[in-house]
Amino acid sequence: MPELETALRRLGAEIEFPPAPDLSSAIRPRLERPRAWRRPFLVALAILVVAIGAVLAVPPARTAILDWLGLRNVRVVRVDELPPARPLGRLDLGGELTLAEAKSRAPWLLVPDRRPDHVYVSNVVPGGRVTLLWGTPSNVRLLLTETTGRAYIEKVVQGDTEVEPVDIGEGGAWFHGSHIVMFQDRHGVFREGKARLAESTLAWQLGDVTLRLEGKISKDEALRIARTAG
Amino acid sequence: MVSRPHDESALVERARRGDEQAYEELVRAHQGIAFRTAYLLAGNASDAEEAAQDGFVKAYRALGRFRTGSPFRPWLLQIVANEARNRRRSSGRRAALALRAATEETSGDAAPSPEGVLLAGENRERLFAAVNGLREEERLVIACRFFLELSEQETAAALDVRVGTVKSRTSRALDHLREAYA
Repeated sequence: MPELETALRRLGAEIEFPPAPDLSSAIRPRLERPRAWRRPFLVALAILVVAIGAVLAVPPARTAILDWLGLRNVRVVRVDELPPARPLGRLDLGGELTLAEAKSRAPWLLVPDRRPDHVYVSNVVPGGRVTLLWGTPSNVRLLLTETTGRAYIEKVVQGDTEVEPVDIGEGGAWFHGSHIVMFQDRHGVFREGKARLAESTLAWQLGDVTLRLEGKISKDEALRIARTAG
Repeated sequence: MVSRPHDESALVERARRGDEQAYEELVRAHQGIAFRTAYLLAGNASDAEEAAQDGFVKAYRALGRFRTGSPFRPWLLQIVANEARNRRRSSGRRAALALRAATEETSGDAAPSPEGVLLAGENRERLFAAVNGLREEERLVIACRFFLELSEQETAAALDVRVGTVKSRTSRALDHLREAYA
């Protein structure tokens, strides 16, 4: 072995590392796996477009909080039944800008290889939220919503909604079926953003950016588009 | 302690079926390297401990995605390293850990090996300074390969790069060290 490499290995033995803690006892209480994840089951694609006004009163009977998707800023709450929801209203995505303007306002913005038809920026969530829209506001084909930093998203899913971990970025999940999406506002309150397509959605994390892609789209197609965002 | 790959595969299989004791054995076998890898990337012991803990929990819950028969350690290190990087990013720290040598005599070896002689006194300090003077990506690859003694595959997993990148980065880093250490 070359001299330098030998010297480096020798030096490694002298590196001052803090003593490794005993992690096995610390993680023991955290090792219960929710049953739904062991055997996810397919449900017919339920395209449910829901919106909910004002502050959503999430029922107390939350059956599970699945916060270990690798999506640091997405909280998934599973309930037996979705809370009451109003029909789809107008989309409330913020002010429309050009893509270049949006990039200037939100330098962290990640854009996939398909150029969006419309770009919106909103300040309702901490750090801002950018939405890229394909189609028209009245006939949305695809929405990509991006938030950053401390912006939290909560997804309320019901028992038959499949939530499948997917290997993308630093963690992601594919939501197949009905769910409600809420963004935490500047006061820390989760509010439904007036209206939200709650079709099948891919949510993932890239660095500090949390992305969600939703629309009438298959998981494979969503992943393909998502992997071009960078 | 997991001593043979065969034993480890059996433990992983048991853990996949929900056997928490089997998983705890895997944790005990790998917690040292997981913690040190996290320490390199997170930059401090408390973040490293949290990253390693969360990484082990996430790995347990993701065992359904683990490819049977493949080595467990690179897969685990990738998850732990992601946690450590996330903590460093969210804390806003940019600079990676500067490595320090232990201040005490490192062992009671009566007769130092040739390598020990090589690293005596000034040489050791110069080599440390040279490693700490490398660009961050090169310092990390040197630390993973030579200080933690990770394989190229494990280093690639921990640093979230391809194996080819590990090879080229290691080669460049060694060239830079030779220049600085010459």
